[in-house]
Amino acid sequence: MFSQANIAKVYTPEQVAEMLQLSKNTVYDLISRGEIIAKKLGKVYRIPASSLSFMFTGVDADLYAAEKVDRKNLVLVNQALAYARKKI
Amino acid sequence: MELFVDSDVVVSSLISKTGAAYLLLHTDSVTPIISSLSQKEIEIVIERLHLERKDFEKLLKARLKKINISSTHKQIQSTFGKYVLDPYDAHIVMGAVQTKVRFLITYNLRHFKIDKMKQDHKIIVVTPGQFLQYVRSLR
Repeated sequence: MFSQANIAKVYTPEQVAEMLQLSKNTVYDLISRGEIIAKKLGKVYRIPASSLSFMFTGVDADLYAAEKVDRKNLVLVNQALAYARKKI
Repeated sequence: MELFVDSDVVVSSLISKTGAAYLLLHTDSVTPIISSLSQKEIEIVIERLHLERKDFEKLLKARLKKINISSTHKQIQSTFGKYVLDPYDAHIVMGAVQTKVRFLITYNLRHFKIDKMKQDHKIIVVTPGQFLQYVRSLR
């Protein structure tokens, strides 16, 4: 049903605590406050990589996606700007 | 908070309403600034990319603050050319320095000598997404 590529990488709260250099309790606290979006499966949590976008891209997932929208047209914008800067 | 925005950010905001540039320029807590030279080049780009001129006029009136730059290109490049790779980008640095902002927002970080700008003028050069991330960290 799902290809391997479609399965998002997930982490345990313990792994995330180590990655973010936080205590395990702080990670659980961040989960309960909604600052880290996690999925509860029975009694355990799993955290998708998208919830940790900041660690991989420097910005939250929604901001990363919003920059991606702009970057699609950036080559065109830069070419037009280079032309304009020589004209003014 | 006042920020100086490079023209690529303004043009990007006119192309897409879901991009980070649009989000930034419509964030209530910030006042984006452009210069008279930026305005001229943005108008040329709008025409070249067949964008709506009235969208820019609306944005300029509602959200942007504009400063006038009357120096010649030669003067601008001789003072601010050391902060950019392409001398034609120097007027953006001049705008940021003249307005005494803490942040210059651009998608073209590589066009600017960001360490030198930080050292000489305490101006931090970041992308729209990075700046919005910073705003979130203040909450």
